[in-house]
Amino acid sequence: MKKGLMILFASLVFVLAGCSGGDENTIQFWTPLTGEDGAYMDELVDAFNETEPEFEVEHVVTSDMYTKMYTVLNSGNGIPDLSIIHADRVTSFVKQGLIEPMTGIMEAQPELNTENYLAEAWEAGNVEGTQYTVPLDIHSNAMYYNKDLLAKYGVEHWLDDNVVTFDEMLSLQGQLEEGQYVLNDALAGWVVLAQIQNLGGDIQQDGAPAVNTPEMEQAIGAIKELADAGLMTPYGEDGYLMFQSGNVLFSTDGTWSSTGHGQVEGLNFGVTNIYAFEPTTFHNRASSHLFAMLEKEERTDEKEQVIGDFLEFIRQNSLKWAEAGQIVASTEVIESPEYDEYMQSFFTSTPEQEESLHIYTYEHYPYVAEAIDTYVGDLIHGEMDLQQGLEEMQKFVDDKVAEGSLDIENAETEETTEE
Amino acid sequence: MNNNNFLKPLLFVGPHIILFIVFILIPSVYGIYASFTNWNLIGDPVWVGLDNYKTILTDTDSTFYSQFFNGLKNTLLFVVFSVPLLIIIPLLIAVALEHKDLKFTSLFQTLLYIPGLISISAAALVWSLIFNKQLGVANNLFGSEAVWQTTQPYAWIIILIITIWAGIGGNMIIYRAGINGVSKDLYESAEIDGAGPVRKFFSITLPSIRFPLIYTMVMTTAGAFNVFAQPLMMTDGGPRQSTTVLMMYIRDLAFSHGESIAGLASAMAVLLGLVILVISAFQYYVMNRNAA
Repeated sequence: MKKGLMILFASLVFVLAGCSGGDENTIQFWTPLTGEDGAYMDELVDAFNETEPEFEVEHVVTSDMYTKMYTVLNSGNGIPDLSIIHADRVTSFVKQGLIEPMTGIMEAQPELNTENYLAEAWEAGNVEGTQYTVPLDIHSNAMYYNKDLLAKYGVEHWLDDNVVTFDEMLSLQGQLEEGQYVLNDALAGWVVLAQIQNLGGDIQQDGAPAVNTPEMEQAIGAIKELADAGLMTPYGEDGYLMFQSGNVLFSTDGTWSSTGHGQVEGLNFGVTNIYAFEPTTFHNRASSHLFAMLEKEERTDEKEQVIGDFLEFIRQNSLKWAEAGQIVASTEVIESPEYDEYMQSFFTSTPEQEESLHIYTYEHYPYVAEAIDTYVGDLIHGEMDLQQGLEEMQKFVDDKVAEGSLDIENAETEETTEE
Repeated sequence: MNNNNFLKPLLFVGPHIILFIVFILIPSVYGIYASFTNWNLIGDPVWVGLDNYKTILTDTDSTFYSQFFNGLKNTLLFVVFSVPLLIIIPLLIAVALEHKDLKFTSLFQTLLYIPGLISISAAALVWSLIFNKQLGVANNLFGSEAVWQTTQPYAWIIILIITIWAGIGGNMIIYRAGINGVSKDLYESAEIDGAGPVRKFFSITLPSIRFPLIYTMVMTTAGAFNVFAQPLMMTDGGPRQSTTVLMMYIRDLAFSHGESIAGLASAMAVLLGLVILVISAFQYYVMNRNAA
């Protein structure tokens, strides 16, 4: 009996102590790719492992990945050899010294260079001249249209220049059947960020976050006008679903949604750019999945060798990734004829289209995006005064920036005065 | 021999103590320490004394001041609405299930208990479909025109509905156990004295289950203060942050997209903890005194 208890006790201690993972003989590869994306990545990793590399890549899908990254970086235990991070994290990760440059990998694999990738995705990993990441994809805001509804309202010509404008949409005011709408408010925050680019604005000024700007006001104001005109799906209603049920002309969601829309029987749809003010100036707010190596001392040269092989393998073979609806970053894949079958190839069909994909790399972008996402719904649907909202958003970001970046000097004075 | 006597109890409480130290005590102490620092979860925490508390409690211009008080207000609203319902409804059900003529009591008990076992996220998905304007039963069958998630008071109502649906089972079981422990003789003699069911409930049942009542009251209140998943899943804090509870702000500060602001988040968590502590102690004191 006592022995049993001891075993129980010992195994408990073992379990508690054994939480640190990480196999010496595999490449630990962390990604935030939950759901179907993760399954596609699994297939890519399996295909690489079949080439019998010196170390096998072990793909670990980690929800809440960034929190776990902070934990392992803090303890120094179980840091993954390779991971996928989002474009908007790079600047802050570099600033905090959390990721290593790709310099060595790029020297070993000459094909991993700027020429072979979409410029916007490659540049997202470049901080002050040093390349820290190798891109997998660009995932962008995209606007899906319902072909049948466009025909019904006789507005198919809106798509002639591949850009639907605010004015074009406003022209349908008062002409819609009850229960039908011109557009939904899916990913409204991303749409706002595209309009800021269309208006020539930015989310920073001399490094300081700039949220309460004339461009932001105009961007949100213009979208609010669409909502006020009764063209947008009402606040809180599932606009994504309403598009799929054939009652909305345009849905502003993501490139990855094409697979979801494709599964809806009888939905006759296509993809185009996010609406803009002028047909000549258009942007689609995008982000990118980037391969990065977290700072880790014990990552051996042999492992780096295999990581290089893996990235090169992905560069050549990531057509699979297009199935997940993403814009693949490797130009070799994009230029292959098979890639044209995927809907998102629209976004790389011309140089102008490629340039429309905009990735924000500003250091405090995550705070700005959080502020926009928190307020945008209430603002465009008139739940909150626009001016007041802009002021609160600016303060929200300013306060977070002030708290988030350590002002060591102040802190130390505080400490000395307390002593 | 002596040694053996000392070891045995240790073996029994040991696992719990270890788990308690590793997962509760150390994190709590470290959280309290972190609340006096500026920390982004990666670098070393920098001691800033009471700065975080000053910002949260006194700097009226700060976003964190308004977040804290808005979060606390919404949390208190949730507590005030949900706790009485989570006490009274299970109590009524427990008493009703005691009725002599009632058949299939275990079946009813099981049916009421099961929701509490379902993961709150999964349940929230189901409930948000029920209240979905396009697909939902609430709108299609009962003809409601409201968009529940973004209109008050409906946003609060759906949060309360899912909370009560999931929460009644646990308390009900505790009350049933308490009521079962009351001697039947008491009821019989009360009947002989001519007491009706209401009188029996207030004069026998309630005083007899005093301790289960205190326990559930304190635990339900503390649990309600920590509310997080229901508003996050059902309303995402809207409309206009009117259902954003304190735990949501705390989590966003510490684990959102930008660089972590864990020091301030810890300070908010400590303040929330203090509120819970004071209110629980007060409840315990009042109930115990009244009962004595």
